[in-house]
Amino acid sequence: MPADAARVATMSGKRHTWISNASAALLLLLLLSPLLWMLQMSFRPADDVIADELLFRPTLENYTSLWTGNFPASFLNSVVTSSVSTVLSLLLGVPAAYSLARFRFRGDRHVALWILATRMAPPIAFTIPFFLAFRFVGLSDTLTGLILIYLTFNLALVVWTMRSFFEGVPRSLEEAAWIDGCGVWSTFLRVVLPLSTPGLAATGILCFILSWNDFFFALILTRTHAMTSPVAIVNFMQYEGWEWGKIAAGGTMVMLPVVAFTVLVRTWLVRGLMAGAVKE
Amino acid sequence: MPAPHGWETERRRAFLCGILPALAVLTLVTLGPVLYLAVSSLTPLNPTIPGSGWDFSQPWHNYSAALSDTRFLLSVWVQIKLSAVTVVGQLAIGLGLALLLDTNSRFMEAIRTGFLLPMVLPPIVVAVVWKIIYTPDISPMHRLLEWVGLPVHSLLANGDTALWAVAVADTWEWFPFTMLMMLAALQMVPKEPLEAAAIDGASRTQMFWYVRLPYIRHTLSVTALFRLIDSIKAFPLIYVLTDGGPGRATEVTNYYAFVQTFNFSYWGYGSAVATLLIAGVLALSWIILRAGGRGAGGDHVW
Repeated sequence: MPADAARVATMSGKRHTWISNASAALLLLLLLSPLLWMLQMSFRPADDVIADELLFRPTLENYTSLWTGNFPASFLNSVVTSSVSTVLSLLLGVPAAYSLARFRFRGDRHVALWILATRMAPPIAFTIPFFLAFRFVGLSDTLTGLILIYLTFNLALVVWTMRSFFEGVPRSLEEAAWIDGCGVWSTFLRVVLPLSTPGLAATGILCFILSWNDFFFALILTRTHAMTSPVAIVNFMQYEGWEWGKIAAGGTMVMLPVVAFTVLVRTWLVRGLMAGAVKE
Repeated sequence: MPAPHGWETERRRAFLCGILPALAVLTLVTLGPVLYLAVSSLTPLNPTIPGSGWDFSQPWHNYSAALSDTRFLLSVWVQIKLSAVTVVGQLAIGLGLALLLDTNSRFMEAIRTGFLLPMVLPPIVVAVVWKIIYTPDISPMHRLLEWVGLPVHSLLANGDTALWAVAVADTWEWFPFTMLMMLAALQMVPKEPLEAAAIDGASRTQMFWYVRLPYIRHTLSVTALFRLIDSIKAFPLIYVLTDGGPGRATEVTNYYAFVQTFNFSYWGYGSAVATLLIAGVLALSWIILRAGGRGAGGDHVW
């Protein structure tokens, strides 16, 4: 290709990049505008929510009134159920994932299918039996009950994503340790696990987000004591009238951890979010 | 070095020890409940009536009742409409954005993270965001429409528009998933055919239809099926935005099962509806596997 033509090509390429960058940024702003609107509402003074002015003096009063009510207790419940359920699913799921990755069992394809079905099943199918069983054994409205039911989706997720992750870890290192007389699980702890921390962190964060985001199970299986923050927000709407500023502030608080995690570990999260749809 | 045979058995045992606890818990929390659900769908279970959970005198009554229950049949129709509109909308937006963002610059990667947000947000936050948009008193959308001289009444209070308003919110929540899948598929498209097409003077539209689309077609259909199955679970949006109303305009089957069980205490009937939902979900999953079980770039899903 003659030099001139090449230069023209790169110049038009540059202009093209600039245009597509700008349009992508604009589109992002447009698509996220409903979210941004909620965000600004949470900083508006209570008597100003319905006002027409776009400019206002931002205030934290919605957040402080939120923080003096019942909201902190439900926020804490959310933190506890999500973290404990995450830790439990990692403890149970990671060894299973490793075993499935390294050993061919009879019926391991059925296990995979089972896990797919768990991801697909509508939550109402689990809720009806769990509600009755929890009443029977006294787990209604307890944090333990919620932690247990979060295992339905978290455990399946851990087994699925960590299995594909372990399959990507080369076997030669483990085999060397085995020859040195190391047992299967001490090799796993000393050799494989340290290599898998990024995958482990991402899977853990994804579990945390899934439990944190749950609304349906918490709505049905808790009343007052174990209520999580998504349910608390709905209660603002239904029982405390339409205090929009407070509702917006609650929504902002609940989304903060999730947004933080998304920005921090984006690439790993993306793999997890597509788990089940794409095998790597 | 240990004797190969003894070592194999030991290894096998160690791996079994690794997998059994997880399988036991998974059985307890997933398989057990679903079996119980199927059994209770054969009874007139109602917690306020003692012994109703063990009454198997008319095992198929709930299912035959469902077939003649117009409210149930309507909920299936509402579900079909909602799923069709949202899946098509998400695929269109997701594919469009993926084509726009399919460059590996730092800037674009940051932008992509932004587009990911609606999908990771707690569904209840998505519901609050759209409740604000659809409440005329405080909605920027209603204010804007009034300002340009096209005032509209509440979309959620109108039986003709409520479902479409919910569909817009649902599309907004889940387009990032289709976008991610399409991006993964587009990045797998080999460069040579694109370069060859460019040299032959193909336009961007032609490159899309004749080069990219054939490569991503498979991912496109798997993504559609995944979204279709997930759309059956729609709950928080409907709960907060419309509560199934006005009338029954936004009452999808999942929501109907919830209402029958937890509002009316018809647990047996609710279990039957939930069992039918699971059957539907399994049928759709089976189609995914039949479709060759291949995801982005021809990778096997299973």
